[in-house]
Amino acid sequence: MKKLFLFCFLMVSVQVSAHQFTPTYPQLSLSHIEGVYKTEMVLFNNRNDIEYYGLDVFDKNWNPVRFASENKVVPLSYQERKYVNIYIREMDVSSALYICSKSKILKNVKDPSIVASRICSKLK
Amino acid sequence: MKKLLFLIPAVACANTAVANIPINGVVESKCVIITDTDGVYGNPTADKLSTTASDGGVVPIIRYDIITADAYKAVVTTPNSFSSSPSLDDVVEWTSSTSVGDQSDANMSAFETNKVVYNNGHTTEFDLTIAGTVWFDVSSVAEYGYGKAFPAGDYTALITAECIAQ
Repeated sequence: MKKLFLFCFLMVSVQVSAHQFTPTYPQLSLSHIEGVYKTEMVLFNNRNDIEYYGLDVFDKNWNPVRFASENKVVPLSYQERKYVNIYIREMDVSSALYICSKSKILKNVKDPSIVASRICSKLK
Repeated sequence: MKKLLFLIPAVACANTAVANIPINGVVESKCVIITDTDGVYGNPTADKLSTTASDGGVVPIIRYDIITADAYKAVVTTPNSFSSSPSLDDVVEWTSSTSVGDQSDANMSAFETNKVVYNNGHTTEFDLTIAGTVWFDVSSVAEYGYGKAFPAGDYTALITAECIAQ
């Protein structure tokens, strides 16, 4: 009985809630559209309290840079991995520096203290 | 007859094909943010909400898994307003801190020594110069007006944990 209790406790304890966004240093390459560069990012959601992740591109001073993607807010189920293409115009390539993903917390979440996670990769 | 019984499986084993099946894996540079412990505000006095254990709260703990040293910095921003609460007609005073808790490498105590705090103490930056796992403990205290009682209801505040490639 004690072993069963310990096993159940460990199963609950090891449940982790994580956010991953890779690669750390993505590289832009020409896309199939003339004058537009692209890079592929991988988003992994291991947070069961999060269903959406927002994407953003910033310059070195954290000013937003215009970009395109299939979804700027990516729906992502628990333990789902998604490949996301980020498209940046040639004229913005020199200023774009960070590509970030941020967890979106629904308004109806009533936990007393919630953690919003944001991971930013740096363009090389 | 006994020899024959032994011989048949022996021949069968000799003809068994052996296949080596590779398992491939790549460990890439990344930073993983894990919400280890959700925080809870305790309400030790009518005008105070606090995550510290002595006030009846639970300290939120955020875990960072660092695969490559010197690739990322961690930025933790504590709340300076409620994301949802009952209507408040007076000022809320916020105090907070973020510190290194458990660590997989004793040298990670340097994260605490070299941390940079700004934004009135609400934002703390740590250079993740050592690979491994580190846990950050976050404390947050909200005090309402001048000894005024917080109205009854649900209070929610948001901590932002960031990992920024360097």
